[in-house]
Amino acid sequence: MKKMLPESELARDERFVRTNIEDRLFDPRGPKVAQRNTGPARMGVDRPAAGERSRSLMHGIFVGEIQALEGAGRTCYDFDDETAPFQLKLDMARQCWDESRHCEISVKLGDHMGAEIGEYTESTFLFAAACNPDPVLRLCGVNRALEGLAIDVFNSMKDFGNESGDPVLEFCEDWMLADEVTHVKMGSDWLRRLTATDPERRERALEFQRTVDAIFNLGGFRGEDDENPIQLARNFRRLAGFTDDENDSLAALARESTVQAREMAEAASAALHASAQGS
Amino acid sequence: MTTITVTPNPFTLVPYDVEEITALLEEAAALAGISSGVDISLTVDEELFAPLTGHMSDVVDGRVVLWISGGNFEDNKRPCHFSADQARVDLSVMMLRAKDRLSDDFAAAPPDAQLSRGERAAWDTYAVGRAGRLGLDMRRPRQLYDFRLQHGFTDVADAAFERCWEAEHVTWEGIREICKETGAADRGPSKVPVDLLRQK
Repeated sequence: MKKMLPESELARDERFVRTNIEDRLFDPRGPKVAQRNTGPARMGVDRPAAGERSRSLMHGIFVGEIQALEGAGRTCYDFDDETAPFQLKLDMARQCWDESRHCEISVKLGDHMGAEIGEYTESTFLFAAACNPDPVLRLCGVNRALEGLAIDVFNSMKDFGNESGDPVLEFCEDWMLADEVTHVKMGSDWLRRLTATDPERRERALEFQRTVDAIFNLGGFRGEDDENPIQLARNFRRLAGFTDDENDSLAALARESTVQAREMAEAASAALHASAQGS
Repeated sequence: MTTITVTPNPFTLVPYDVEEITALLEEAAALAGISSGVDISLTVDEELFAPLTGHMSDVVDGRVVLWISGGNFEDNKRPCHFSADQARVDLSVMMLRAKDRLSDDFAAAPPDAQLSRGERAAWDTYAVGRAGRLGLDMRRPRQLYDFRLQHGFTDVADAAFERCWEAEHVTWEGIREICKETGAADRGPSKVPVDLLRQK
């Protein structure tokens, strides 16, 4: 079996359609919408298109769970026992079981919301973070950055379930959230153990984590304001072993991304306006 | 003779075709049973993309005035591309609601921008249920979830949904009764204007 599988070779049936992040970034409507008030991005029953936005996000979570399963599975297989200890692989095997369960739960939640598998496109840049050839960097990218993001996403969904009075959503998200806290802890533990005598490698891994975190803050996706659809879940992050300093620095990074997204939208809008004036 | 106007003409941000949309609108009007002679104008907000969806159906001085987000016409699997199937479904629901507004049964209904989210969800369910029985491919679970978001995840709300979905004849008073029954009428006004996406 092939080791280090690239994202282009992930197996999917005919229901799934893959998209590139560039499709959305270079969509001429993006800057126009960014200039408009489309209501709070934070999930809520009062915001416009609440049902459709929830379905779309739920589908994104579902494909994210598939990729998390694939990532953890690859880590069990891609490395020999010297590069990645057997106990680490056991943790990854346990994570595979969790992610499989999350896939099943996400499919059922999609049914509950009226979404269908493959109804929305799939972006595979989550799996891309799980392709790093160094297991420590991979664990930092996946278990600390992405599973940390999963804490934020599930907590936001759980809050939405609570606000909308949806007991199914609230209950399911709460259970998945508990697993994510464990996954982050696994990442933090293995980062410490594998880099105990190699501070440079630890710093490289943390830098990789910051890069992945920055990607997922893109466009103000995550933050602590109403304009961020996904809210930073500080308390759960603390339970997972993130320090207050780490949470503060992630919040600052998220704010920076939101400001950058706003500036980019303004610049793109001005460019569109100038080109319309010139034509 | 019915006049149909689609705005913008032409589209500049997305490759949507005015003639194709006009033909689908004619088809939807016929399916809903809109009398010939009733003028129809449709505004498509081409700046909006999925999932920023929404539509509104009003009647002004006997004319049907429609607004829809460009996201409603967008193929979820191919961003920026037009989906005729999706457009057919949404235009039919819009025309069924416009037909309601042209009847005495809904004469007292306020414009769409003034409906509460609960009223709108109940009315949509009534329209989507009928569209399904007219042969369109409607998805019940999707509508049920949207209804529950505004009326609650309760047995009372589900029973009310069932009645709206199956109904062949509901009046504006009937919609208001349903909102009282589920408790949606007791919710305070929406914090976010219901026509926010329509405002530029």
